[in-house]
Amino acid sequence: MSQWFVLLQKEILEMWRNLKWVWVPITFILLGVKDPISSYYMPQIIKAMGGLPKGAVFKLPPPTAVEIFVKGMGQFNTIGVLIMVLTTMGVIAAERKSGVAAMILVKPVSYTAFITSKWAGSLLLMLFSFFMGSIATWYYTGILFKWIPMADFFGSFLLYAVWFVVAISITVFFSSVLLAPGAAGFISLAVVGLIGILSSLLSKWMERSPAQLADYANQLLAGQSLPDQTWISLFISFVLIIVLLIGSIFIFGKKELAS
Amino acid sequence: MTLIRINGLRKSFQGREVIKGLDFSLETGKCIALLGPNGAGKTTTLKMLSGLMKPTGGEIAFSDAKKGEDIRHLIGYLPQYPVFYDWMTGLEFLNYVGKLAGLCSKEAKMRSLELLSLVGIDEAKNRRVGKYSGGMKQRLGIAQALIHRPKLLMLDEPVSALDPFGRREVLELLEGLKNSTTILFSTHILSDAEEVCDHILFLHDGTIVESGSMNELRDRHQQAKIDFIFRENPTEFLSIFTESNLTKSINSEGNKVSVLVDDVPAARNHFLKGISERNWPLTKFEISSMTLEDIFMKVVGK
Repeated sequence: MSQWFVLLQKEILEMWRNLKWVWVPITFILLGVKDPISSYYMPQIIKAMGGLPKGAVFKLPPPTAVEIFVKGMGQFNTIGVLIMVLTTMGVIAAERKSGVAAMILVKPVSYTAFITSKWAGSLLLMLFSFFMGSIATWYYTGILFKWIPMADFFGSFLLYAVWFVVAISITVFFSSVLLAPGAAGFISLAVVGLIGILSSLLSKWMERSPAQLADYANQLLAGQSLPDQTWISLFISFVLIIVLLIGSIFIFGKKELAS
Repeated sequence: MTLIRINGLRKSFQGREVIKGLDFSLETGKCIALLGPNGAGKTTTLKMLSGLMKPTGGEIAFSDAKKGEDIRHLIGYLPQYPVFYDWMTGLEFLNYVGKLAGLCSKEAKMRSLELLSLVGIDEAKNRRVGKYSGGMKQRLGIAQALIHRPKLLMLDEPVSALDPFGRREVLELLEGLKNSTTILFSTHILSDAEEVCDHILFLHDGTIVESGSMNELRDRHQQAKIDFIFRENPTEFLSIFTESNLTKSINSEGNKVSVLVDDVPAARNHFLKGISERNWPLTKFEISSMTLEDIFMKVVGK
């Protein structure tokens, strides 16, 4: 256990030295405030662009706070996931490629601790950044439109977060299976994207997919109660995370560290 | 006492056999050199011993560990091209691997400082490793291999990348470490092996072609060697050596001709007589015993 904390500490320190603790949260915050602010200033923006032609009737119902908040969270589900995958993709592959993983693993370091500490380090960064970003969305939605109840915010945050943990676990898996960080990132994005697309296209068959958690979070925000599948989705997500981690450790252990 | 015993160790890469069945054992407290030309399989052998590579066949048995037990706490390993986390300082890296190897923070810190001064990079301890020179990285590599006081220290070409001063210092360092741990190091530089090691393993083309202590090797290959140095390139003078049946083998490089013989007095008289009759420009004449290099050339069959 103490070895695991030494490994995790190193991950956290590394992300501090290369400033990931600064720029990832800032990116998420910018991403999060974009929708509330642009929606609020939309009438002014249209006016500044030259306005609408005379006679044109522009009747758009003003967006509700929930709509804006849902749209803001949607940013994290697209660009946010992209950032998460790109910052996580090298976490194991790059160390193995450079050879530093071999330097560390000739020491009596458990493979399980090595992989899970990197997974945990990535999770801490991503969840912190996502929390900062979503709280920014919530705050700006609140001051510019209407306050979303705290409980709804936390509920949807947690549901989204579970889906993001699945996405990061997929990235960690491919990072430990493949040698090239780029390939790991590309395949992880493809897999995460595919799960997302299939879940929304075939929502009937995929209603228990982890990607549906985002949908259920939006239903929660809209004031509906959570469908029963939510719990099954959550359960499937946890199983998937554990399977991915065990798979990463197993396949990584089978590989030769030196070529 | 035997520290480690290797039986029938083999390794293939995509069907090509690189290590073709090694059998040897290492004695506790010895310094052993793994010698061989480039591509002989030295690095592959060390990687298998360190556990970074899985052998295709054969077994590696440590006397201090049961079969299948994790042996990583027993070994310290320095790869040929050590890599570190460039964003860490030298001290941080040693501290980190020390703690990973099971030392408590206080112990790790003390041991790190001790090793930094032992390998002579004390003044660079708070500099980022990314800013280290090649020689400093090599020294840091030796320090990290020693951090948990391993029973067996394995170094892959520890001095090949160093300048003459660095090489001297590292060889002296190894000389000093000999008392506290068993050292196995690979090199293709024969004089380095001759200088610090008491035991030699010659690896050529994936097999051990010769092994033993320096003295054993000398005895086994005892053949007197006579060196003749001429003032000019001796191609036209070679006939006297090649035609004589006293000559066992002959090797000429530059202005020097080395001749291996069994009967030294007869050969000396015969050659010197011939040379003075023909009035050849001999500048130096020397009878010596074989160096490691000569033995190496002989066993490798060049």
